[in-house]
Amino acid sequence: MDDLEFRRNAFADPQNQDPEFLAAARSSPERTALLQQLQALDARVSAAAQSIAVPSELKARLMAREELAANDAIVASKPKTTRYIAVAASLVVALGLILSPGLITARPSASDLKFHDEVIGHVYREVARYDTKREDASLAQINSVLKEAGGHLRNEERIKQMHIKFANGCNIASNSKGAHIVLDGEKGSVSVMVVHNSPVTTTFDVNDSRFAGKIIPFGEGNLIIVGEKDEPLDKYQAMISDAFEWSI
Amino acid sequence: MSETPVLDDRRKRVRYEALVDALYQDVYRYAYWLCKNGALAEDLVQETFLRAWRSLDSLQNDKAAKAWLFTILRRENARLYERYRPELVDIEDQSIADSFESEPDQRLDRRLLHEAIASLEKDYREPLLLQVVGGFSGKEIAAILDLNNNTVMTRLFRARGKLKHVFFPDGNPDESLDEPQDE
Repeated sequence: MDDLEFRRNAFADPQNQDPEFLAAARSSPERTALLQQLQALDARVSAAAQSIAVPSELKARLMAREELAANDAIVASKPKTTRYIAVAASLVVALGLILSPGLITARPSASDLKFHDEVIGHVYREVARYDTKREDASLAQINSVLKEAGGHLRNEERIKQMHIKFANGCNIASNSKGAHIVLDGEKGSVSVMVVHNSPVTTTFDVNDSRFAGKIIPFGEGNLIIVGEKDEPLDKYQAMISDAFEWSI
Repeated sequence: MSETPVLDDRRKRVRYEALVDALYQDVYRYAYWLCKNGALAEDLVQETFLRAWRSLDSLQNDKAAKAWLFTILRRENARLYERYRPELVDIEDQSIADSFESEPDQRLDRRLLHEAIASLEKDYREPLLLQVVGGFSGKEIAAILDLNNNTVMTRLFRARGKLKHVFFPDGNPDESLDEPQDE
């Protein structure tokens, strides 16, 4: 094994146990030193990468996912004939997916699609009330609205940095109280609605010519996030879903 | 004769819990190094395990579970985050566990190493972490990243070359001249 080949192998995998490679490593003090240096580097990289603290609640959250129980319940309660109908319906939706990419990411039901249209309509109706607003709402104000919907946001620094400028009760779901908060995004206003007990059970996209977003099953209810097209909504989704706690 | 659905569900649950138990920490850390943000990583891990739950039947061999989960995670990261946001370069201080070193020098060293890993381009960082942290072979990394084996080896070579220059700057300054060019 010449020097070039040895170096390639050593840099690509210093833990390589191939006898020919190990013999090559022993053949000169320089090679041995290089390999030891690379192995030491690996040990440090490994220790550094493993030193990332894993959130203490994560395991419990993964084990106790409501979606898992919900999934079980749906599968267990469906009689066979319903399953066949469901398969047929899925095929129809799948065909719809192929024909209209971007509209839907999951398998929304007819009521989900109706809700989709209501969300879009609601955002168009409400946008004039908050689009030009600039001053931040206080966390107390936001939480008094969220309390009505059955939850609150934890008092976190990153929430304060989100520039939430509007908070109001929301009638998007006719059978339950909701909260509508609005923050300044990169492309314009971002609407975040939290609704308790609304009808949606699967995440799906909201999309029209101006707005884009998502309706997401969220603990006791749904989280709806809608912004102008191309707004990076996922970071807001992550922050809100992380900081929001249901109290009912 | 097929099992009753209730028993199937219970078995699925047991299998899922064993999977979470064995691998959630590895999956979280990999997620963290992919997106370099704790909150996003947590979200990604939850999404990954939810998808794993839904398609658990497609995992034939539990020994392949880690590679399977990492592949789901990469896909979710691409779907949820990558196209929306530029890469973060800074990493969060609070993500580094306190228990490892108490000596200020060691903490500084770790901090520098974190920054060096985080600032590697993703193409280099990913295979390196898969190899060093995930314990995957070159062939397995090639499968997870959907690359050919030579490309993976070249990227690993370059990743270590870059880190070595940071941590052992006394090395041969001509090292970069003989990098393989077979990508």
